[in-house]
Amino acid sequence: MSNAKRLFWLPRGYVIGAGFVGFAVIPLLLSQYYIFIANIALIHIVLAVGLNIVLGFTGQLVFANGVLFGVGAYATGLLMVDAHWPFWFAFPAGTAIATIIGVLVALPALRLRGLYLALATVAFAQFALWVFIHFDSLTHGVSGAVIPPLNFAPLPIIPPVGIYYLSFVLVIVAVYLAINLVRSRIGRAFVAIRESERAAEALAIDVPRYKLLAYFISAVYAGAAGGLFSAVVGAVVPDQFNLFQIVLQFCMVLVGGIGMIWGSVLGAIAIIGLQEMLRGLRELQEVGFGLLLLLTVLFLPGGFGAFLAKHVAGWRENLRNTSEDHAR
Amino acid sequence: MLLTYLLVSGITSGAMYALVAVGLVICYRTTGHLNFSHGEMYMVGGYFAFTFHVLWGVPYLPSLILAVVAGGVMGLLSDRLVFRRLIKAPPMAMVVATVALSFLLKGIARFLWGGQGEFVPFPSIVSGAPVQFLGVTIFPQQTVVLGVGLLAMVALTLLFRNTRAGKTMQATAESQRAAYLVGVRVERVYSATWAAAAALATLAAVLMAPLTQLTPDIGFSLLIKALAATVLGGLGNMPGAIVGGFVIGITEALAAAYIDSTAQDVSAFVVIMLVLVVKPTGLFGAKGQRDV
Repeated sequence: MSNAKRLFWLPRGYVIGAGFVGFAVIPLLLSQYYIFIANIALIHIVLAVGLNIVLGFTGQLVFANGVLFGVGAYATGLLMVDAHWPFWFAFPAGTAIATIIGVLVALPALRLRGLYLALATVAFAQFALWVFIHFDSLTHGVSGAVIPPLNFAPLPIIPPVGIYYLSFVLVIVAVYLAINLVRSRIGRAFVAIRESERAAEALAIDVPRYKLLAYFISAVYAGAAGGLFSAVVGAVVPDQFNLFQIVLQFCMVLVGGIGMIWGSVLGAIAIIGLQEMLRGLRELQEVGFGLLLLLTVLFLPGGFGAFLAKHVAGWRENLRNTSEDHAR
Repeated sequence: MLLTYLLVSGITSGAMYALVAVGLVICYRTTGHLNFSHGEMYMVGGYFAFTFHVLWGVPYLPSLILAVVAGGVMGLLSDRLVFRRLIKAPPMAMVVATVALSFLLKGIARFLWGGQGEFVPFPSIVSGAPVQFLGVTIFPQQTVVLGVGLLAMVALTLLFRNTRAGKTMQATAESQRAAYLVGVRVERVYSATWAAAAALATLAAVLMAPLTQLTPDIGFSLLIKALAATVLGGLGNMPGAIVGGFVIGITEALAAAYIDSTAQDVSAFVVIMLVLVVKPTGLFGAKGQRDV
């Protein structure tokens, strides 16, 4: 592997640094519209990294993250609208609610693997979507709820810029924690579980406990992303959290590179950019993302992350080898 | 008489769920993979029949046959282009690929037929007017669905039990390697299975379209119900899936009438979650159980 031909030399650190500076100065240079899009991309970075921890590192095929994202958004939004909580309390509370629901779903799901897990979580996702639509008294039904704009009162910042930097800080924390997590003992336990649960057990890894931990972490990420999403969009509507949302998240993780944190970051930015270009054309989005996901699974199972790691010097990520073995 | 009416309509939709579930089961048994785009194949198959019969004016029976053949070709193509390449990949790759394929098919259907209105009506083979039968109001199309559905299930059971092709399929399901060693062309069996499942889904779509109408979004909700039937009967168990289909159909009809009209949509999800939590092997437990 190490002597594979490199196309050119471009250290990952340079690209990450450039991306960091780029995202940091967007609100100073670009219009509100671009701030909004960049903010949505930031939120999806958190989501994709969270999904990658459970899907890519721990190898659990779950479809629940799109809906946990929705629970975080709904809980935060409804606490603001109906309970009149300020965002600063509603956001952590909403994240906590999404996490609790995520763990409650994970407890029975610990027994399930592979196809069965996929089926159970697809059913849960559809069930939660049904609750969003039909529990009008709680969720405001099909039309959703409009959320009041945030207030950064003592500070002289306008809300979109304020939320943008809040998301930016959250992304930095989320990515930093994820990278350290997957390099730690916990991350190695996750990978061991992915490769073989029996072998992991033989290594004295407490498989149910670590699986639960993986579900917990990805639920925290999804819930926090949801809370910010409701504040950025200014509304919660059931349609935002349907199966297509999950397919988008799968696209981000798989196109970026399964089991690669920086891959998910790039994947999230690329997919949100692509979605923005196809905005308003539902069938084109379905065909586009369906085809993209299909071609990735067929011809580039490691995603662009693995492609970069192979062909561009300076892109290797820890644990890359195991992830590539897995994709084979 | 409400109960009888509910039972009749529940059995009718149950027959269709069973027919779709049987398609899922034969693919699962033979290849070990679940096809999450099966619902979209049903939907596209229905639109094939719509194109032949309504748009091009081909008579009913020839367009039914044409649609079933076209559905089989669709299954064959997806095998050649997608499934065959992933047969040895981990289950995750196949699940993601079939989910991706389902969105691709849905988008294509919206592109090609979306302009026909959100829901397109499809004429039935028999008169659409309801008739009284033993004091119960039924639509003639319901009896057609039930009759053809039962006929297809009997035919499939006989095919599996008594024909060489069916036995080859069973042998492949039992052990891919052993089948290969005794000279079965495993890849051909897989192709035939995907094609047969897609053709079966098309048949179900043509039968059911007069009752439900067609929309590009119909596939997924139907898939969930067929999956519920499959899981309830034990993943990979064909008689189980048929029984499961009827149980889901009747449960839905009863839930809609006695709990709440919106409970109809949700009962399938609840059944899947309950079965997987309480008894993942389903009511009948499949033989040759794979890892749960």
